[in-house]
Amino acid sequence: MKLSISIHSAITTLKKNRTRSTLTSIGIVIGVASVIMMVGFGYSAKIVVRQKVFSFGENAVVVQGSPKEFITAKDSKYLRDNFYEIKYASLNTTEKNIRISKGSKVASTLLNAVENDFFQIQGWKLKYGSYFSREQMDNLENVVIVGDTIRKNFIGFTDPVGQEIIIDGKPFRIIGSLEPRGLTFTQTDFDDFVAMPYMTFHSRIKNEKIRTELFVGAVDEQSLGKAINILKSYFRQKYNQTADEKDDFVILTNDENLEIAEYISLTLSSLLIGIASISLIVGGIGIMNIMLVSVSERTREIGIRMAIGARNRDILMQFIIESVTLCVLGGITGILLGYLIYFIIILMLGWQFYFSLLSIIISFSFACFVGIFFGYYPAKKAAKLNPIDALRYE
Amino acid sequence: MAKAENVIEIKNLSKIYNAGEDIAVHALSDVNLAVKRSEFLAIMGPSGSGKSTFMNILGFLDSPTLGKYIIDGIDGSSLNNDQKADIRNQKIGFIFQGFNLLARTSALENVELPLFYRGTVSSKQMREKAAELLKLVGLGGREHHIPSRLSGGEQQRVAIARSLINDPAIILADEPTGNLDTKTTNDIMNLFRKLNDELGITIIIVTHEPEVADFTKRKIVFRDGKLIQDVLTKKKKNAGYTRELYK
Repeated sequence: MKLSISIHSAITTLKKNRTRSTLTSIGIVIGVASVIMMVGFGYSAKIVVRQKVFSFGENAVVVQGSPKEFITAKDSKYLRDNFYEIKYASLNTTEKNIRISKGSKVASTLLNAVENDFFQIQGWKLKYGSYFSREQMDNLENVVIVGDTIRKNFIGFTDPVGQEIIIDGKPFRIIGSLEPRGLTFTQTDFDDFVAMPYMTFHSRIKNEKIRTELFVGAVDEQSLGKAINILKSYFRQKYNQTADEKDDFVILTNDENLEIAEYISLTLSSLLIGIASISLIVGGIGIMNIMLVSVSERTREIGIRMAIGARNRDILMQFIIESVTLCVLGGITGILLGYLIYFIIILMLGWQFYFSLLSIIISFSFACFVGIFFGYYPAKKAAKLNPIDALRYE
Repeated sequence: MAKAENVIEIKNLSKIYNAGEDIAVHALSDVNLAVKRSEFLAIMGPSGSGKSTFMNILGFLDSPTLGKYIIDGIDGSSLNNDQKADIRNQKIGFIFQGFNLLARTSALENVELPLFYRGTVSSKQMREKAAELLKLVGLGGREHHIPSRLSGGEQQRVAIARSLINDPAIILADEPTGNLDTKTTNDIMNLFRKLNDELGITIIIVTHEPEVADFTKRKIVFRDGKLIQDVLTKKKKNAGYTRELYK
C-alpha cells in the first residue's frame, strides 16, 4: 500500500472520530504550546534581562584612568573625533548620595557629571526638553537633566522643563527629563538620578580633582574589539608606558554582568522547557491509550482489511500514521496556540516578541517522534492479529 | 499464459489442532478436491463438520497441518504471511455472512479497498472500475451511500462487487445469505448464478441451507472433518425451485 493512501485513510478514519481525535490530540497541543511559550518567554526574558542588568550601554566600555593623571575632555574629544570605531565618548563622574530638594521635598540621589554622548551610550531617550547646549556647557550654567523618578517625585506628572531644583544646596534649572527604564535586575531604580554637564559639576559642586571615568560607545558590535585596542594604545601612550609595563588603567566591559544574567535566564528557561516536555510525554501516553482502545474496537475492521489483502506492514503503517497524524495536527495547533498565548502575554508585559524557528522545528519533530514512539506498540498489536480471530471478533 | 485447468487442487489435506496435552483434534482429515475453472460449488455440512476450517484454508486465512493446496497453479504450502496476503488480495474474493464492509465508508470506497492494497492502479482507474462493478451488481447510482444506509441485500451486493475487483481466481462466500430474508436470498443467489453463467467466475459457497445449495452446480458435504459426498446438483430440482420462486 502506498504511503499517500495510508495517509489518506488515516485522515479519513480520524475525521470519522472527530471528537475523540480532537480530545486525544489536546495533550500534544498543550505540550507543544507550552514548549513554544517557554522557549519564547526564555528568549524574551533574556532580552529584558539584557536591558535590566546594569550595563554601561550597548557596545560600550568604560575606561578608568590612572590616578597619576585624570582623563579629561580633551581625551574624549580626541577619541570621538579621530576614530571611526569610536562613535561616542563621554566623561563621567559619579557622585552617590547627593542631596536634592524642592520645597519641602528632600531626597538623596545619584549624580552623573557627563557630556551629551553619555545619554547616547546608555541609550537614554528624552521625554521632555533637550540635551545640554554648547552655551550651557561653556558658560557652566546650572542646568540639569533628570531621571523619570526624580521628575515624578519632585515635579509630578507634568513637563518639568524650566522648573528649579536644589542640588547640593545650589539652584539648578531642569532643561530635560528622560524616558523611564524601570528597575534593574536587582531592583535598583534606573531612573533615580540626575545628570549635569561635566564642567558645571566640577566648578559648582566638587572643585577638587576626583576620579573620572570615560564612557566609550563603539559604532557597532563588530567594532567593539577594535575600539578597545584603540583605547589601549591611546592610554598607554598618554601614560608613557613602555612595552613591558602593565596597563596603568582599566577597561571594563559589559560581559561579566551579562554572562551571569544570561546564565540565570538560561537555567530558568531550561527548567520550564523540561516541565513542558513532561506534558508532551503525558500527551503521548494519552495517544497510546486511545490507539490501544481503537485497535481493539476496530479488530473486525483489521480482519476485513487482512482478508482482502492487507499485509501486516500495511496495518502497522495505517495505525502508526494515524497516531503520527494526530500528533502532527496537535503539534501544528500547539505551535499556533503557543505563539498566540505567548504573543498576548508578551504584549501585556511589554516585553519583546521573539520568533524562534528552531523551537518550531524541535517541537514539531518531537511531536512526530511521540506519534511514532507511542503509536508503535498499538500498531504492532494490530498488525499481529490473526485474520480469522479478527474477523470473528464481535 | 496458459492457466491450469484446475483452479483448485487439494491433496491429502488435514488440519489437526492440539487441544491440550496428547489430545489432537482432527478438524479435517485427508481431504481431496479438485475444482475446475467456472465451477459453482456448494460446501455443506452441519456445524462442527469442518467446513468452516476448510473454507479458512481455501481462503489462506489458515494453514493446513498436512497435505497440498494449489490455487491457480500456485503451491500454497511454502508461502509467508505477506505472500498469503497477496494471494488473498489477488486470487480470492471473500464474501461473508455479516457482509464485513467498512462502516462509515462509502460503497465505492469499500469496493476500491482491495485495489488500494494491490497498489498498482491509479486512483482514477480504481474509481472507474469500482463504479462499473457496482453497476454490474445492480447498485448503479448508490456509489456514495454508506453501509448503514443500505439494506442487507444491497450491502451484500457491495461485498460481491468488492470480491470481484481484483479479477480473482475464485470467489469464496461464507454463508452469504445467512443474514438475508428469502426474497433477498434468491436475488443474491441469482446474482451469483449470473456471474457464474455469464462471466464464468468460479464461485464456492459455504452454506447449511439446502435451498441455497440448490442454486449451485455441484455440492460437496463434510462430516466429522471428512469429505463424504461430492455430487452434481440435480438440474431439475434446481430449475424447478427457481421457477417456483419467480412465479
